[in-house]
Amino acid sequence: MKKSNLFSSCKVLVTFFLIAFTLAPILLSSHPWPNEGRDYLFENASNETGASNSVSAIYLGYRAMDTLGETLVLLVSITGTMTILVGLVKKEKSDSPNTFLLTRDKRKSNQLRTHLLEVVSGKLGPIVLLFGFYVMLYGHISPGGGFQGGVILASGIVFLALGNQSEKETKLNNPIVLARIEGFSFLALILASTSGMLMGKGFFGNPLSHISANFIILLNIIIGLKVGTSIASMCIAMMGRSHDD
Amino acid sequence: MMIERTLIFMIFLVGFWAIIANKHIIKKIFGLNIINAAVVLLFILEGSRIGTQAPLLDMQVTNIVDPIPQALMLTAIVISVCVSALALALSVRLFKATGSFDIDVIQERLSHEQ
Repeated sequence: MKKSNLFSSCKVLVTFFLIAFTLAPILLSSHPWPNEGRDYLFENASNETGASNSVSAIYLGYRAMDTLGETLVLLVSITGTMTILVGLVKKEKSDSPNTFLLTRDKRKSNQLRTHLLEVVSGKLGPIVLLFGFYVMLYGHISPGGGFQGGVILASGIVFLALGNQSEKETKLNNPIVLARIEGFSFLALILASTSGMLMGKGFFGNPLSHISANFIILLNIIIGLKVGTSIASMCIAMMGRSHDD
Repeated sequence: MMIERTLIFMIFLVGFWAIIANKHIIKKIFGLNIINAAVVLLFILEGSRIGTQAPLLDMQVTNIVDPIPQALMLTAIVISVCVSALALALSVRLFKATGSFDIDVIQERLSHEQ
């Protein structure tokens, strides 16, 4: 037993040093970074897409297809996670109704969810939600955007779900409402991406005019709602409530 | 510049060590997240080498950093969230099936069941 332990730790050490020697030249060497892309974006990004935040200009203007693919990856992973978790929750519900979202006296262990956590997260939740909407709506002119705002929205919803001291279900931690918002915003993303085709602008073209930030604001709102509700519904499912209840 | 690179290299190695040396599945998933953070930091550092200011195109801004790595890392962060969520759900499933997070115990119990 002792010998096999020594052997396995030797294997781990050899693997560790091999990967260290392989990666050291890649991570530690410094080549001159090309600045053609930066210069082009500095000259043209604001004029061509209407967004003065050039990161937003890339992922919603030049490379909007990338964002669509990313949203699809998120959708697939949420689907997989929910499928795995919902089966577990259902099986568990029959023998012990002990989820993280129950009130204090009904849970078996109260160590993780204390009064302090409930009060602080309940009071912080609305402020975090407001900040999330700000980051989402001002993503085209300031640091932020749909994905970042969506994640902040999701943490606001999780805060509200944790700070909910009664067992009453609100609209924001109801998985059915969240799933509906998610589906609707994905439909809206598809509609918005194809709407430019009717005006002859191509896939993800701006249907109204060529230079306008309005389309980027719309896409930011849609992506923010999509990401926020997906991650929030996943977290709420991990706390023990799913849309099949 | 060398200090930052060395620190990022060390963060990467910490994540890699967490993956290969731990038997606990949740700690392995944390290791994946640490590696992802190291890669994100490396790309942001590389992009910031040719400029000093944030890539918000106002009138006063002259010397912006490269926004392309930042836009790519936005994708990487979302993919990392997806991967860790799926991996955590799968590990909870394994825990329900075998009653342990230790990979050796899981393998033993699953091979006994067959």
